[in-house]
This record gives sequence, structure tokens and C-alpha cells, in this order.
Amino acid sequence: MKPLNLGIKRTTLDITLLAVFVSLVLIGTMAIMSAVSGTSFAEQILRTHFVAIILAVVVFILSWSLNYQVFSDQWKVLYGIMILTLIAVLIIGVSDRGSRSWFRLPFFSIQPSELCRVGLIMVMASFLHFNYRRIADPQVIIKVCALILPMFALVMMQPDFSWVVITFPTIFAMLYASGVNMFYLIIICGYAGISGLFPIMWTLFDLKPDLLDYRVFSFLDGLSNFGWNTFIFCGAAIVLGYLVWYSLRQLRIMAPTFYVLLAVTVLLAGFFSGVFIDKQIKNYQRKRVEAFLEPTSDPKGAGYNVIQSKIAIGSGGFVGKGLFSGTQARLGFVPERHTDFILAVVGEEMGFMGMLAVLLLYLIMLYRVYSVALVSSDMFGFLVCCGVFSMFLVYLVVNFGMIVGLLPVAGIPLPLISYGGSNLVSSVWALGLVESIYARRITVV
Amino acid sequence: MSLEKKYLFGKLKFLWVLAVIFSFVVFVRLFHIQIINHKHYLEEAESNRTHVIYKVAPRGRIFTEDNVIIASNGPTFSLYYLPNARKNIKYLNELAEDISKKINKNKDEIFASLKKANDTKRAVLLGDNLSPKSIYTYAELKDAIPNIEFIENTKRFYPFDNMASHLIGFIGVIDKKDWQDQYIKSNYRYDNKIGQSGIEKRFEKYLKGRDGGVFLEIDSKGRVKNIMQSRSWRPGADVHLTLNHKLQQVAEEGLKKSISGLGAVVVMNPQNGKILAIASAPSYDLNKFVSYYDENPSGYVNTGIMEYNLAVKGLYPPASVFKILVSIAALENNIINKEDEVLCKGSLWLGNREFGCWKTHGKTNFWDALKHSCDVYFYTLAQKMGAFLIEKYQNKFHLSEPTYIDMEGEKASYTFGPKERFDRKGYWYAGDNLNMCIGQGELLITPIKMAQFISAVANGGKLWKPYYVDKIVSQNGKTLFAEKEKLLGDAKIKPETKQIMDKALKNVVDAGTGWAVNMRGVDVMGKTGTAQNPHGEDHGWFVAYANLPDEEPEIVVVVFVQHGKSGSSGAGPVARKILNEYFKDRV
Repeated sequence: MKPLNLGIKRTTLDITLLAVFVSLVLIGTMAIMSAVSGTSFAEQILRTHFVAIILAVVVFILSWSLNYQVFSDQWKVLYGIMILTLIAVLIIGVSDRGSRSWFRLPFFSIQPSELCRVGLIMVMASFLHFNYRRIADPQVIIKVCALILPMFALVMMQPDFSWVVITFPTIFAMLYASGVNMFYLIIICGYAGISGLFPIMWTLFDLKPDLLDYRVFSFLDGLSNFGWNTFIFCGAAIVLGYLVWYSLRQLRIMAPTFYVLLAVTVLLAGFFSGVFIDKQIKNYQRKRVEAFLEPTSDPKGAGYNVIQSKIAIGSGGFVGKGLFSGTQARLGFVPERHTDFILAVVGEEMGFMGMLAVLLLYLIMLYRVYSVALVSSDMFGFLVCCGVFSMFLVYLVVNFGMIVGLLPVAGIPLPLISYGGSNLVSSVWALGLVESIYARRITVV
Repeated sequence: MSLEKKYLFGKLKFLWVLAVIFSFVVFVRLFHIQIINHKHYLEEAESNRTHVIYKVAPRGRIFTEDNVIIASNGPTFSLYYLPNARKNIKYLNELAEDISKKINKNKDEIFASLKKANDTKRAVLLGDNLSPKSIYTYAELKDAIPNIEFIENTKRFYPFDNMASHLIGFIGVIDKKDWQDQYIKSNYRYDNKIGQSGIEKRFEKYLKGRDGGVFLEIDSKGRVKNIMQSRSWRPGADVHLTLNHKLQQVAEEGLKKSISGLGAVVVMNPQNGKILAIASAPSYDLNKFVSYYDENPSGYVNTGIMEYNLAVKGLYPPASVFKILVSIAALENNIINKEDEVLCKGSLWLGNREFGCWKTHGKTNFWDALKHSCDVYFYTLAQKMGAFLIEKYQNKFHLSEPTYIDMEGEKASYTFGPKERFDRKGYWYAGDNLNMCIGQGELLITPIKMAQFISAVANGGKLWKPYYVDKIVSQNGKTLFAEKEKLLGDAKIKPETKQIMDKALKNVVDAGTGWAVNMRGVDVMGKTGTAQNPHGEDHGWFVAYANLPDEEPEIVVVVFVQHGKSGSSGAGPVARKILNEYFKDRV
């Protein structure tokens, strides 16, 4: 009997995914070449970029051919290596623009935190995979927190806030996709929200001092000084928690005491980390928040980047001004044009079509990762795909959101498009993993 | 496993849907920015990268009727330093010294500018508004120093300094607030000069040209990258006036040389209201507003400028000139017999008040009364005809209205009369009759109004709107604006009355107080007036209209000399010079 031939070929490589990200890298390379041409550092940047591309090819082939499940087996080793690397970079790393986050090698520098992000995705996927049966328990969440906290702390010591901006939502999305109890996610969200809200609120008060005429606002403004205000605030939070708990009791609503306690704890913890962030935050970062809250308040300063990049993409029109002919980028009106604002270059020189192409390619890429997740042969593979999917989604949202003025400037490059060797290599590594999962998927026949 | 995974698939799908929704939002925003607002952002990008060194375009010239230019443009120069290669301090120091000698400017200031240019790589302005006198020195500078850019601008130049200054007005820098409110919209720059009064202001939009400039491409730090293009300017449209240059000159000189040197002259064509000369003294030097930097580094002098245009703003009693109106009123209504005589004893008693005449005329009939300007005759006449009639004629000649000439701040004449007095709930006394008929009392009139009134007498009652602009012609010969004659009213003087008046007023010139303008071969009708002035010397009026024998009157001259003592001696000679000039080639 002849074997059943359904015309289905078992491929080991998702050609669409490969084609999409290769196209993105090509577009990116063109944009980078255009952005740096005529500058004194052009040659060095292009050299580094091509070295990174070669490295990326190697990394891609390796991670594609290697069985991804190895990482699941060896996740503790991987985690240990990552922690050690992050400690090492704090000790022997070199600083660039105020962040000690680089290893200097003879030909180029490596930013280990970029690679650690992909590593962390695998560690998380592995951990969640092993704890899948207990996924709804609070212990799992606490363990997850315990796992990621050292890494976050180490990166914050560099300090590299933009890493946190990308990684935190990625982990969050992974937790959501793995089916963690929504209540805990809301708690985490609330904690992050409160700790972010206070610094933003204080920045807003700085920006609009007339708000302080209201008693409520001046009370809130004084909280960061650890005076009577803080004391009253903490006391009030505890008393309020108790009152809520007591009232619920009297109303015979049997809410677990644990929940109320947790809510108060989150409020206070959020507040204290908010104070901590407010003290830690750098002046230029505060300026960015200010610029987002009120872009016209300082058109020559922090709001400048937003305004100029908008002018850049707006002046590009439908087909753009042509490669190497964008005035906004080439004359230096768009800052960081080969890294964080690469989309401004794309928008100006390749126009609406270029922007649409990047956006669509990204969407196709996300769709392919999503499809691979559905056919992965195990939970680990599914969760890794979820992580990679979330990571690229967060990058997409942050970059496009910033360039069209929906989000504040975060200073984050767009993977595969922007210049940045470590970022390129780690992105390609992540995509290689997805290809590896694809190659080892559940077969149809 | 597979069931659980299916549950989780839903969660990942939700993230995928989020990605699609977000992409759609981005798509809409991108469409908005890149397609809908493309033009706006493109303009912003262009203005970001261009720095323009402007070349101020010449304003439109102002011509008189006989094609003399009374406002034109002169060259002025700006010196820019466009940095390229970095220079050392010593070189800059020498350069600064070199330049400072040539443009009469502080060396340290220039050195500071040069250093700034060198450090920032931006174009800097070294000197502005420099006179063309040392044009060769600049050219030398440019040859010696390749980085010097030498920009030719234009600025207003008035060849005759003071001529028609009140009419032309003056130009000046735009008020900052006005610039932001309105001028910025019509492509004015904050340092542009605009007309601040007179013709310069009224026709600003025609006179203004389009500035040229040198367009430099700059980067975000303002450093000059290259010179993109150079655009030449387009001059503004020329204004052609109805003014006659010769007459204007004579009028202004005459006023200047008159007893007090103060006053106003209006020369007009009575048949259409065309103004041939309008002068007001004192006048001012228009060039003072636009002096060169190297001649006057301290800035613009605009103190001590007499902007007060007596011709349209000065209100004075018409005095005996008003007797023309009284005579017309009386003749039209058959109140006088021209040959009846009145005995002038030098004054007339009304109750216990004495109303004086300027001299004792003895027996006086209508002709003599006008000829020698006898007040007593008119006192008697006024008592006979009543003030209501005079007031009626005042209104017939629109005496209380302005002439509507297009000049700023024209004042309406101030008239009075019994009806007006009753309307104000005042009393009319018998003495007012007498004051009114000799043009004293509350009646005040501007020289331009006087010219309109005399024109009406000369042309049979037609009140023309006086005008001074003939047309405005753009540089390519297109007429942008043309003034039309405008009839404001008609007092309809009967031909018989006009005949009598012509004869009487000619008498004044031939054998009476108007002797000053007696000319051979020309019929000149005139009347003098001496306005009593309690604060000093009396003011003198002289009004005249003239024609060649058997032709219609073609010129009206009104001369007013402040503190001129009397009409005949103070204002007469000025009128004479004007009429002489006008008829010089024709008799």
C-alpha cells in the first residue's frame, strides 16, 4: 500500500518568517546607511552593523538547528549565567551615556542586558512550563517575582530604564498568556501603576504650580518629603483598609482578609517605590515625561525630539523624499536618528509607503510567531513564542506610539531596523528559537 | 494538554488582536500626519533648514503729474560673514580691525560677531544699512575676504527732502504687536519698514515689493551647509499723483518765505477736485526717517518732527473770505441792490456794542464793499437778510462737513448759525448776526475746505471731493488703482449771480485788497481775509481762482498764513507766485 500523499511537505524552516525579518533588516540597513552618511562616525557604525549582521546569521543558524528544549532543561544554568553576566557588567563593563551596560571587546561592544532579555523569556517559559499545574496558585507568582527581581535590580543598577520598559510588559504578557490568575496580574499592574503614577503626578505639579492652590494637591505634593503628610497618608491607608475590611464584615460579605491586606500593601509599596523612582529618575527622563504631558512647553528642549520627528515623517509624504535626501534627519534636526528615531528616517525618506511596509512586515512577523505558537509541540515552545511575540509587540507599540505622538519618548530602538548590534543579534536569536520550535512542531500527518 | 493549550490559545489570540488594533490606530495617525498634513510638515521642514538673508525690495516710487519722482529708493548694503573653515583668533582680530575701519563700527563688536560665526558656524550680520558712499571699500573687502557676503538692499529715498512731507507721510519699523497681530500673515518680517502715515501708509499694499534673498541651507545647529539659491526682488507699484511738482515747490517755498513761515497752501482744479499742490508749513525732512547707519549710528532721529498737517487739520475763522458766501446768499435772493450805498463811519453801533470796520470807507456800494472788504456794509446787509439765510447757504455749500479727502485726521469745519444754536438750546443774539457775516465768531474752517468752497464758487456750485492720486501702476504696466472724480453736492449758483460775483471778485484783484495777484492776460478773481487772533498776530487768508479770458476757471489757490498779519500782505505774495508759475508759459 502506498503511503498516503496529501501534498503536505514537512518543512523545517518557516520561509515567510525568515523573508519578513530579512526584509526588515534590509530596510533597516538602508535607513541606517542614509542616517549616518556624511557624519564622521559613519564608517565605524556601518562596519559594526555588518559585523552584527554576520554574527546574527551565525546565531540564527545555531539557534534554529539546536533543539530549543535544551534551554528548558538547562534553565537554571541559563539563569545563573545571566545573573553572573549582569553582575560582571557592573564590575568590568564600560559606561556609555551614563549607563554601565557594555562589555568592550576588541572589535565591538556587547550589551549583555539585550541578550538577557531573550534568556529571561526562556527562563520564564521554562519555569511556567514546569509549574503549569499550579499556575493559579499565588506561590507561583511570588516565585516568578523572586526570579525576575534580581535581574531587574541588576539592570536598574546600570541603570537602564528602557530595558525595564520593554521587559516588564513582555513578562507580564507572558504571565497573562500562560493563564495566571487575573487577580494577581491586577495586583502587579496596580503596583506598577501606583509606583509610576506618583512620579508622574509630582512632575505634573512641577509643570503646573498653580494646581498646588488646591489643598488636596498640595497635600499630595508634600508626600515625597517624608514629613507629616507621609505619615498621615500611610496611617490613612491602613485605617481605610481596616474600615473597608470591617464594613465588609458587617455587611456579611465574606471577602478574604488576605485581599484587603494585599490591597493596602500594594498601595503602600507602590507609593514607596514611586518615591524611590522619583528620586532615582534622571533629569532628562523627567524632561521626557514633561514633554509628553505638554509638548509645547519646551519646543527647543525635550519636546524638540517629538516635534522634529513628526515634522520629519510628515514632510516625507506618500513616497518620501528618497534615500539620502531627507533634510530633517541629515541636517541633524532628528536626534538619535540611526537608533531610537530610525522610524523618522524611514518616514521621511521612504514616506507613508515605507512606514506602512515596516508596520505590515512587523504584523506579518507577529502573525507568523503566533502561528508557530499554535503548532508548537510542547508548552515550553508555546510560552517561548508568547514571550517573543510580546517582546516584539511591546517594541512595536513603544516605537510607533512614540513616533506618532501617542506615547512619551522612551529612547528605545526598533529591533531589526535600528542600529544596535546586541539588539539585532538578540532579536535574531529569538526568531531563530521560533524557527527551531517550528522545525520541531506537531506534524499534521 | 491540548485542551488546556486551546484555552491559552485564546489569550495569545487576544494579544494578536491587540496588535492589529494598535496597528490600525498607527495607520490612521500616519495617514493623518503623512498624507493629510503633509504640506504643513513639508513647509516646516523647509523653514527648518533654510536661513534667508533677505534683500529688501524697493518700494514703489511716487511720481508727480509732470513725472518728477518725489519718492524713490536708494541702495543700502549689509555685510554678512559666512564661515567655512575655522580661522584662528589672530586672523579674526585683524579682520575685525579691517572691517571696523570701513564700516565705522566698534571693533570689539565686530570681533565678537566674527568669533561667534567662527565658533558656531552660523552666518552673522556684521553691518546693516550701510551707505553706498563707500561701495568700493566693500567691494575691496569682498575681494580680500571670500567669506564676506555683500547684500544689496534698498531703502526709501526722497530726492526733495521736505517736499509734500505731510502728504507722503513717512515709513518706520512695524510695531511689534501689530506685526504679530496682522503683518506676519502678509509676509512681513519683524524688521520690515512700513508706511506709518500719509500715502506710504494708505497704499502700503501697493508700494510694498517682494523681497529677494539668498537662501542658505543650515543644519540643526544653524551651521551653514551651502548656498541654495538667490532670488531677486520685485519692486512695488508706482504711485502717480495729481500734484504738479513746480507748483508744489513754489507753494512750499512761498510759505517758507512768508512773514511767519507757517501756514498752508491748497491749489486745486475747480472743475474736478484734482489737487495740484498741497503744502503745510512747517514740514519735515522725510529722509531723516531712513538715514544710513554709518552716517547716523545713534539711530533714527524722529524728535522735533512736525507732523501736524495744517492744510487738513488747521481750523481757523475764514474772516472776510466768508463775505463771498454772504454775497452769494444775498444776490440769489435779490436782497441787495448792488448800487445802493451804505455809509461806513468806521464802525457800527448795535445797542451799546460797537462793531468795528478795519477802516473808514465812507459811502460804499456792493462792489466797493467787496473790493475794500468793508465790514459795515455787510453788517447792514446781515441785519437786512437775517442769519437764517446765511446758515442755509452754509449748509448748501456743505460747510460743516469735511471734504472727505483721503488724508488722515481731516477735521470737519465748525459752523454755527441760529438754527444750530437753537438745536443746542442756546440763544441767538443780534450781535451774532454781525459776527457771522464777516466770518468771525465760532465759524472755523480748514484750508482744504476753503479750497473746495472756492472751487464751488468758481464752477457754479459744484462741490468736488479733492483727490491727489491719479493712478497706481505696477511694474509690468498694469493699473492697479485709479482715482475717480467724485461730486459730493451742488449748491447751484445761478449764472447771473456767478457773473456778478466774478466781476466783483475780479474787481478785488484789479483795484482792491487783492492787488497782489493782479496779472496781465489772466482773469484772476480773489478775496483776502484777515482772521482776528486774540492770542497773537492775525492770520491771513488769500483765496483766488483764475482763468484765461473767456475760458472756465481752471485753478483755485488758497493760501493761509498763520500770523500773517493780513490777507493781502501776508498770504497774497504766495498766491501770486503760484499763479505766476501756473500761467507762466501761457501768456
